Formats: sequence, C-alpha cells, structure tokens
Amino acid sequence: MTNDKTAEQNMLHRMIVDFTTNELAPLDMKIDQLGDYPDGLFQKVIDNGLLGMTLPRQYGGAGFDYVATAQAINAMAFGNASMAVTLEGHFKTLEQLLKYGQPELLEKYLPTATKRIFAFSQTESSGGSNPKGISTRAVKQGDNWVITGDKIMITNGGLAQVYCVLAKTEDDQMAVFLVDQDMPGFSFGKREDFIGLRGTPVGEIVMDHIKVPGYHLLGSIGQGLEIGNNAHDDARVLMGAVLAGIMQHELKIAVDYAKQRKALDTPLYELQTIQEKITDIAIAKQNTELLYQHGAELKVAGEPYSKVAAMAKSYGSRSAVSSGDKALQVLAGYGYSREYPIEHLIRDARAMEIAEGTVEKMNTEISLKEVNK
Amino acid sequence: MKIVVCIKQVPNTDTVKIDPKTNNLVRSNVEGIINSFDRNAIEAALELRQQAGGTITLLSMGPDSYITSLRDGLAMGADSAILLSSRKFGGADTLATAYVLSEAIKKIGDVDLILFGRQSVDADTGQVGPIVAEDLQLPQVTFAESLELQDNNQLTGHRLLDNVVQEVKVKLPAVITVRSEMNSPRYETPLNIQKSFEKEITIWSENELAVDPTQIGQAGSPTVVKRIFSPEKAGRQTQMLPNNAKDAVAQLLADLNN
Repeated sequence: MTNDKTAEQNMLHRMIVDFTTNELAPLDMKIDQLGDYPDGLFQKVIDNGLLGMTLPRQYGGAGFDYVATAQAINAMAFGNASMAVTLEGHFKTLEQLLKYGQPELLEKYLPTATKRIFAFSQTESSGGSNPKGISTRAVKQGDNWVITGDKIMITNGGLAQVYCVLAKTEDDQMAVFLVDQDMPGFSFGKREDFIGLRGTPVGEIVMDHIKVPGYHLLGSIGQGLEIGNNAHDDARVLMGAVLAGIMQHELKIAVDYAKQRKALDTPLYELQTIQEKITDIAIAKQNTELLYQHGAELKVAGEPYSKVAAMAKSYGSRSAVSSGDKALQVLAGYGYSREYPIEHLIRDARAMEIAEGTVEKMNTEISLKEVNK
Repeated sequence: MKIVVCIKQVPNTDTVKIDPKTNNLVRSNVEGIINSFDRNAIEAALELRQQAGGTITLLSMGPDSYITSLRDGLAMGADSAILLSSRKFGGADTLATAYVLSEAIKKIGDVDLILFGRQSVDADTGQVGPIVAEDLQLPQVTFAESLELQDNNQLTGHRLLDNVVQEVKVKLPAVITVRSEMNSPRYETPLNIQKSFEKEITIWSENELAVDPTQIGQAGSPTVVKRIFSPEKAGRQTQMLPNNAKDAVAQLLADLNN
C-alpha cells in the first residue's frame, strides 16, 4: 500500500483541488440549504470532463485508474461531498458496463458517458438489501427484452439519463439491463427528501414495458446479483474516499477553531480534552484513507477487494459520523449552529451508513469472510 | 497564427510553510506551479487560437523540474512546449533571461504573437516581457486587460494602469503582457492531462541556440540585489478646513501658495 502518485495522478489531483476550491467549496453550504446543485454547477462538471475520468480513451474518456479516481473523489469530498457522491454513482456504473457490457452496447453508450450520467439501480420498495425480493420483471420477446418495474432511492435518480437496472426474468433469474430515459415507457418518479448529501439527487424511475435490444443485457441471465454486488464493491471504495474527505473537512474545522479560540487564557488546542478529540478524528481519517486506497489498489491489481471495500465504508461512515460529533463538541455552540458546516457533514456522513449496503450488512459480509477464511 | 507563451514556474505559495524559529519561508519540497498571470496568458492564447486557428508553443527557461508546469500548460490546451535548460543559463537576471528567450523565439521563427503574464508572483519585476520586445525589436503592450483580433495582422485592446485605461492598437508580430483581469484560465481536463503526457517537451541548451556566452546566466546578468524590502508607505495627512466656504477657500489658497 503506497500513497505515491504518478505525475499524471498528481496533475489530476491538483486539477480537482483547484476545481473544488473554486467551484464547489464556496457553494457547499448553499448546496445543502438548496437541497440541489445550483443552476449551471453540474454543467461545469461536464464541461471540465470530470464524467469521463475513468472512461477508457477509446470511448473519449481520460482512462484514469481507480487509485487516481479515488484520490480525486477524496479531494472533491473535502469541498463538497454531494458532488463527490454523484461522481461515485456514475463511475461505479461505468465499471459494471466495462466489465459486463456487450461490445455493441459499449460502442453505443459509452461515448455518451462524458456528457451523461449513468446510474445503477437495485432498490425497490421491498428493500434495498434484499435484491431477491424485487418485482421488476424482464420478459423475453424475440430478440428483445421488455422491462417493467419501479426502482427507488437511486443515487443520481433524475439527474442520470442512463440506468442499469436489476430485474427478474420469467424463470426468476436475476439479470441487469441498460435502459435509457429516452426510451418509450420510461418516466421519473419522486425525488427523496433526504437529510444529508442534499445536493445528490436520489430518486425513482418507473419502467412501463420498456423494450430493449438483447445486447442491453449485462453479462448473462443469472449474473444479476454478482453484478449488483460488484457495483456495491466499486461504490464502497469510492465512498471510503468520500468519507475520508468529510473527515478531513471536520478535522480542519476543529483544528482551525481550536487554534483561534481560548478558554479563559488557554488556547483550546492546549487542553487535553480537545487534543483527544482532534487526535481521534485524525486517526479515523488516516485509517479510512488507508482502507480506501488499499481497496482501490487491490481492484487495480486484480486482487479481491470486496472485504476491504466494505471495511472502508463501514469503518469510514461510522467514524465520519462520530468524528463530526467530536468536531461539533470542539466548536460547542458554534458547532451546533447551522452557520457552521459541521452539522451537515454529520448528516452527509450518516447517509453512507445506509447507502450501498447498511453498516449491518457490510459487517455481516466482513465477518463471514473472516469466519470462512 | 503562431503564438508563443512564455511561462515561469513559481513556488506554490499555498503550500509554503513558515519556519516558526526563523520566520523564513521553508522552500524545500515546495511544489512548483505555473505563475498565475502566465495562466491568463495561456488562456488568452487559447481564445485567440480558437478564433484564428494556429498553434501555441509554451516556452520556459529553468531546470528540468519546470517540465511539470509546461505539462500543466499543455493540459490547458497548448500544442507544444520548449524548455530552455542548461547550467549555463543558471543565475540569470531579467536581462539574461529575456536574451535567451528572445534567441529561442528567433529559432522558433515566424512567430506572430508572444504573450507573457504581466509579472511573476515571486520576483514581481514585470521586466522580462518588455525586454524580449526590445531584443526582438517588436512593439509591446504591457498590462493588457483585453485583446481582440481585428484581422490576422492587428490586435486592439486595453491597458489597465493604476488610474488609467488606455485603448491600444498594435500590429503583429508583437509582445503582450497579460493582466489577470483579462480572463479566467480554464482547468486542465482529465483527458487533456493524459494527452499532455503524450506530447514531447523539447529541451534546448546553449548548444541549440545562437547565444553569446557573455550574455547568458550569471555572466550576462548585471543586476545586483542589495536588499529586499517593502517600500515605506507615503503617509497622507488630513487637514480640516474652516466650516464656511469663504474662510475655507482662503485657508486652502494660503496653504497651496505655501
């Protein structure tokens, strides 16, 4: 595990830091208050080629690997976690297309992925962590498939234009298909009013007998759960990066305040009780960085990374929530105020104790991997 | 249009730390970045190229580490980059630096426009652009805040000085130094970052240029820095005049006559 960056990664990292500092961080509070991205902001993300960060060069992307991408997502999350999660949702979906998509599908859709958001949708009202209970159906009609169902709580739902959806075939096998918002029978449902990551749209799509060509099937019939799990793994690595970025933000706020605020005549940072809180946040941030970077490195190396990815998100999300609480306590009354961003950082981090598999589900997966070694 | 943009690498002041004991800047391991005004010059070149077509060559003089900044400029969209690098160029002041840049521009040949940032953020002299113009016997427009291509032979624009805006017209080829007010430099995109590493950066030393050894590096640098200091601010005095017009005018005239 290393933190060495290549010259290309360094330049990408610096570009993301500049973009985040100038375009995202100044709007961080506004995005939370608006519950959306201000007009024109997402277009800047597109115009600056950020959607194509991981996309291979042959499709018009930049072809950066997951290590560089995770570091970029981390740098972005320091300024605004919502936009970092929007990109995470797009990148994890592209990973599944690249791994499981048929050549005809890739040629048709991937060149558009520098301008259009792609999303992965599993969850239905029957539950997010119970994919076998879904009711979305895929019925074979000649060379085509007809998809009918309702997907909810999709990261980037409404913003995304292309969706990979988990469905059941007539013989109850799981499979993933690509549908496009421009297809007849596609419509958007309601947007969730979540308490955190309020810039990231999370919404519903409704599919009413959408007919897709056979090559819109990812992988093969029966591979749906595997693809869904793989999407979770890819998402969790990047969510670890987001969480480390949130903790870096929490740490900076706590440290800056502890340096300028005095209790009687003693600067806060000289008080042991404050030092303990800052230390806890710093250790948790560093641990999460090591976990997500290791997960990304394992993925790039072609090694199993599912467990480390789950660790990055399980540990990272719980730590970012508790670190936010500690940072809030350092700032005391100001920390409890909406004038400071700490309360929204806690709400942002809280989302990732649930999204892409709850902490409980991940911990089950981690423990089973340990038990079944 | 053949455009050369001269850029300088400067320390990233965001990452410079201060030694708490000596209060001096800790310069070791400081990241080098493109001088911010030079990014405005690159952006101006990119916009002119979009309008008139042509090529943009980045030119810089410095050690190999300057390649990082040249790549940054390539990632913004420049076509090629040349680094003037040699131990013999070391220790150059603005005169010797401008001389080597001028010789390189002559070697590039048929250049229509040479752009600089208005000054570097580390040395702050703003001299290299104007000296290059003199060396090459070209017209110069310094502190430009706007530029417009009239045809392929002429630019119009505005110079923003302390209290004055000048409207100017200049025939090409010419040297322009660019203010930050002119534009907002674009970001390097991830794809352009990758592409920038596929472009070769040409390196020229004194062997590739027809330079006079007495005019380069330390030997060609007459500048002697005796001391660096902030000039004392001229104090301003406020004088209250009497509270009626007649007495106030009388007092003012008396003061002015004194």
